[in-house]
Amino acid sequence: MAATGDDVPIIQAENLTSNVRSILYSRTFLSITGGVVAGIWGFTGLTGFIFYFLIMMVASLGLLAKSKFSVHSYFDSWSRILVEGVFGGLMSFVLFWTFAYDIVHIF
Amino acid sequence: MAEELVLDTAIRDWVLIPLSVVMVLIGVLRYFVSKLMRSPPSASPSPDPKAVKEGQLVIRARNLRTSSQFIPAKAFKARKLYYTDGERGLLHVPKEDAQKAQAAMFSDPNMAMDMMKKNLSMIVPQTLTFAWVNFFFSGFVAAKIPFPLTQRFRGMLQNGIDLSTVDVSYVSSRSWYFLNLFGLRGLFSLILGEENATDDATKMMQMGGGMGFNPAMSLGAEKDSLDIIQHDWALPKMEHHAEEVLRKLLKK
Repeated sequence: MAATGDDVPIIQAENLTSNVRSILYSRTFLSITGGVVAGIWGFTGLTGFIFYFLIMMVASLGLLAKSKFSVHSYFDSWSRILVEGVFGGLMSFVLFWTFAYDIVHIF
Repeated sequence: MAEELVLDTAIRDWVLIPLSVVMVLIGVLRYFVSKLMRSPPSASPSPDPKAVKEGQLVIRARNLRTSSQFIPAKAFKARKLYYTDGERGLLHVPKEDAQKAQAAMFSDPNMAMDMMKKNLSMIVPQTLTFAWVNFFFSGFVAAKIPFPLTQRFRGMLQNGIDLSTVDVSYVSSRSWYFLNLFGLRGLFSLILGEENATDDATKMMQMGGGMGFNPAMSLGAEKDSLDIIQHDWALPKMEHHAEEVLRKLLKK
């Protein structure tokens, strides 16, 4: 959407929720696989969390590229792409990180 | 404190992995059971016309609210008055009516039955798995989380082991169960699709709150949000916007 000064966001709610849902899916999927990868590589402590946020940043970049760098034609605000689902995925990440780490390294 | 515990590989094979697999499978099972137990909508007796009317009214008001920018200010004002005007507006609910509606809902056996079913499908498997974990796996150190935590987390992570010398990052099997319970939600949303019934937290919240659908309350809420909305007609700007888009297309 062209950026005309005081542009009124005209967004269809159903399409927006479906877009947001696909973001949530990709983030959940990434946090689970990322957790497994972090566990197998044997990250501990802060490194793992940094890894998680790196993954999420890469995911944001990917989503940005997917939306062809025009966020406002797909979402109502930037925060959707940047933070949506990041903290929800953290729990899954920790679980799968622990699981893979234990299986590979602890026993 | 810093010394490493050596965990037997048998614990991994017979506690950690089975526990996680069982948690996943039970989540899937619960999803399908709750799907089966959900009474089909056609089977329920014909709905109360008043309730339907109120529901439609709320939807109409919401439509007006979301697309208010597409009609001129005068038209919007007229419609708003139609819905929210003091005593005569459609969204106005008399006091005694609201109480009556609530009483009727509490006495409706069908509704209570439905909720019982939902609750049961949620609570029964959870208690069963918890009992199962307690019975078979109590007192194991089952896992070690790969990051350090403070002493405060001991109660949360080492539920079932009463040793104060074990490092906090070791997790007992019972606590591993809880970790699974919360962390697997993401996995469920991936494998079970969007309308998964495992989103317990939100469900619990709804149940604790308004006891399902409360027409008087939703009417009032809709009225309030319609009252505070700022009207802004978008169409004059739209012409500019359309012109821009068309010009851009022409250039290409």
